[in-house]
Amino acid sequence: MIENRPWLTGFSHLVLILGVLVVALPVWVAIVASTDPANAFGVGHIPLWFGDQAFANWHQVLIGKEGQASQVLRMTLNSLIMALGITFGKIAISLFSAYAIVFFRFPFRGLEFWVIFFTLMLPVEVRIVPTYEVVANLNLLNSYTGLTLPLIASATATFLFRQCFMSIPGELVEAARIDGAGPIRFFFDILLPMSRTNIAALFVILFIYGWNQYLWPLIVTTDDAYYTLVMSVKRMLSVPDGDIEWNKVMVSTLLAMIPPVLVVIGMQKLFVKGLVDAEK
Amino acid sequence: MSDLVLRNIGKTYANGYQAIPSIDLTIEEGEFIVLVGPSGCGKSTLLRMVAGLESISQGDLLIKGDQVNHKEPAERDIAMVFQNYALYPHMSVYDNMAYGLKNRGEPKSEIETKVNAVAQMLGLEELLTRKPRQLSGGQHQRVAMGRAMVRDPKVFLFDEPLSNLDAKLRVQMRVEIRELQRKLGTTTLYVTHDQVEAMTLADRLVVLNKGHAEQVGTPMALYERPASTFVAQFIGSPSMNLIPSSIENGVLQLGVDSQLACPQFSTDKVMWGIRPEHVDIVPLQDADLSLQVKAVEALGAETLIHGSVKISEDKQYPFVVRLSGNHAPDIGQPIGLRVPQQAWHVFDAETTKRIEPL
Ligand SMILES: Nc1ncnc2c1ncn2[C@@H]1O[C@H](COP(=O)(O)OP(=O)(O)OP(=O)(O)O)[C@@H](O)[C@H]1O
Ligand SMILES: [Mg+2]
Repeated sequence: MIENRPWLTGFSHLVLILGVLVVALPVWVAIVASTDPANAFGVGHIPLWFGDQAFANWHQVLIGKEGQASQVLRMTLNSLIMALGITFGKIAISLFSAYAIVFFRFPFRGLEFWVIFFTLMLPVEVRIVPTYEVVANLNLLNSYTGLTLPLIASATATFLFRQCFMSIPGELVEAARIDGAGPIRFFFDILLPMSRTNIAALFVILFIYGWNQYLWPLIVTTDDAYYTLVMSVKRMLSVPDGDIEWNKVMVSTLLAMIPPVLVVIGMQKLFVKGLVDAEK
Repeated sequence: MSDLVLRNIGKTYANGYQAIPSIDLTIEEGEFIVLVGPSGCGKSTLLRMVAGLESISQGDLLIKGDQVNHKEPAERDIAMVFQNYALYPHMSVYDNMAYGLKNRGEPKSEIETKVNAVAQMLGLEELLTRKPRQLSGGQHQRVAMGRAMVRDPKVFLFDEPLSNLDAKLRVQMRVEIRELQRKLGTTTLYVTHDQVEAMTLADRLVVLNKGHAEQVGTPMALYERPASTFVAQFIGSPSMNLIPSSIENGVLQLGVDSQLACPQFSTDKVMWGIRPEHVDIVPLQDADLSLQVKAVEALGAETLIHGSVKISEDKQYPFVVRLSGNHAPDIGQPIGLRVPQQAWHVFDAETTKRIEPL
């Protein structure tokens, strides 16, 4: 659609700019607050300009105070392990289940499909108590397996891959059969490379999903060796004597934002290609 | 030894539809067999059964004497070229051609020799590193053929491989396919619904009609002695003129105004046929038959005259005459035709099978 009405263009830009401001303001506040002294972020008072404590704040959060080593690296690592575990787990399991549903004729195939569909209605938050019980009974509390495994099954990703596989022409599948590619070869030589861009797009979405997990890690971890970055922000807010160190909270918040941003920037090209892909 | 034997082969699809009741066919080594027939007659079904992509419901399929009914496609030692080429989009031309050999576990150096040899034969050397999306339609086609050729199979299978090309390229590739097949001497089964392709490529033609092999023979045999009205109309372009008529006491009653002396046949209700190119124009008073001209198509080297023949007071039958050179009869006027007896084809009106004079 091509429109040439100056006031409309101006108005559209205004709306977009306002939108950007609304989205960007909290981020701005976080950045600014992370450079201010602890008391700058008081009741009814929000700093809007940089302070002079940037180095001290970041140093304290990243390295730690004297006599008390920082937990941040440990937590970043935990977050990373959890996010990547969930992402790769979800992608792998969805690839396999979509492969089975699209290319194999087995009994109760239709039923299987609907069962997977049904799990769309049961995210972790809904089944959190029974899931906790299962994980506890399996002795998986305070472990990476416990952190990732219950979040791995994914109907959404399965459907995405199902759609992607179904768009692969039948002739191609037959050509591979004639070329002597068995089910496993076909999967790794043909299917996987052809779904490359979809996998990349999904990686971005799932990584952010995994990284931002909050409720589940809060529940299954009681040992601070397994705390994640995102939940640590919340823990910093519930200090017993009420003196919240907002500047450090903001540093942690920013730290927690960096990996998803990096992933989005790094995979931007593949991500867009994966969503609008026509290379089949 | 026969290369490929189809013995009482039949196919019934899972939904109960019987696509092919029963077909017997023996193909010799190095033969180029073309399966031809109208859409939906079961050509692809038959080809896919030979390839192993479709299960065989009945009968035996033998390749070089071995029964292969239940073998996987890759174990049958066949290669197939698909209508849409089915190249692997993420692999280079080289990898596309090498993939089958790789899966067979052939050593790298040998694969390279084979792929390069075939690439040279098809003029693909420059394209080996390209991806399929960087190729033209004709190049796609060539790569698909190359992929089939490197495997050096016992049988080539083609399913309408030229139908996605433009007319000129189609002619060129047709000639090329035939040349390559002669050079390689590989037994070939080729599906098409284009009768020109069928006539020019085939050592022998199989005309399929609703899953039956209506006639099997050389293109010339099918052209000269079609076994039924179906084959008569399918082979040759424009197709044969057919007029229902009757024979009484040695006289063929063709149109209202046309009686021709005629040998005796076993039945008197017949379909009488003659090819458009076997008809001559003569002055009306000497004519065997008169034709009401409706349209004239001048193609330069030849002229097609479309018209109708009156077979009763209220019934007309379309009739086409094909003449070499340029002719310009008046539209709407009758012209006289000569239909020499040696060019007649006579079919039983009921069974539609060819019949010969007693
Ligand atoms: N999987 C299937 N299940 C049921 N019927 C089928 C199936 N595949 C094909 N048929 C039917 O079998 C008949 C033969 O199909 P086939 O594909 O062999 O035709 P064809 O001769 O190749 O036609 P075309 O020239 O259009 O490609 C058709 O009537 C078709 O509807
Ligand atoms: Mg077909």
